[in-house]
Amino acid sequence: MTALLGRLDALRPTVLPPVVGVAMMAMIVGALVAAPREIIEGEVQRLMYVHVPMAIATYLSFGVTFVASILLLWKRDMKWDALARGSAVIGVMLCGLVLVTGAIWGKPIWGVYWTWDARLTSTLVLFLIYTAYLLARSIAGPLDEMAARYAAIFAIIGIADIPIVQMSVRWWRTLHPEPIIFQPNPALPGEMLAVLAVGFVAVFALAAWLIGMQTDVERASQRIHRLRAEVDQRESA
Amino acid sequence: MDNIEYLFAGFAVVWAVLFIYLLLLQARIRSLHRDIEHLEERLADAEAPAGTAPRA
Repeated sequence: MTALLGRLDALRPTVLPPVVGVAMMAMIVGALVAAPREIIEGEVQRLMYVHVPMAIATYLSFGVTFVASILLLWKRDMKWDALARGSAVIGVMLCGLVLVTGAIWGKPIWGVYWTWDARLTSTLVLFLIYTAYLLARSIAGPLDEMAARYAAIFAIIGIADIPIVQMSVRWWRTLHPEPIIFQPNPALPGEMLAVLAVGFVAVFALAAWLIGMQTDVERASQRIHRLRAEVDQRESA
Repeated sequence: MDNIEYLFAGFAVVWAVLFIYLLLLQARIRSLHRDIEHLEERLADAEAPAGTAPRA
């Protein structure tokens, strides 16, 4: 299993960038040209092809942070801290983009960029939870195991907001529409669903690629701290 | 409803953020690699037996 994961990890830098490039181009062409114009909302509805996949990719990124945090507490191996931080950075960036694209989409449809609607507010809370996690974790050094464990507990508790975000449109009356895709009979025409599927592939591949690179950066940062400690020890001896 | 400027703004924000993030990430990776090389050289020098000339 570890060997397989290692082989997949080795393929990542060569396989993911072209996949992301091709899928992104297909998504742009699909969203702007191939997908039909929505009659009521007009052109701005085409933002759905990035907004919805980025929202689900946000959940998945924080899901990776959650799993890596559990593994960190269980295995006590700092490589899981690097993965947790790497995926949280990408999750926060995607969550920020979901909030911004949602606000831009909302303005011509609702008349306002922002309202304290349950879906919007719970998404903002999710963004703030993991921003706080990253800030708190960045105060301590990359090799501070105690700080990593406290941050992991915070990240594990923070994931509880995702079901609240997802269910908010059902539990409360919101301006944000209820899901029209993730149900037995999606209320979207076939062409729109096809372009949305391409959007999911593109954004998921992008998220995987970015999480991989950000995790590499976190691991390199840990390596530098180890090397610096070793150099200081040798030079002072 | 003609609201194409909002569509343009939404896509522009997404691509701008991704582009800036990738530029910053590339700069960070380059700086980390430089630091690692520098520290490895210092470590090799520190480990070299006394009397050996330090590496340039």
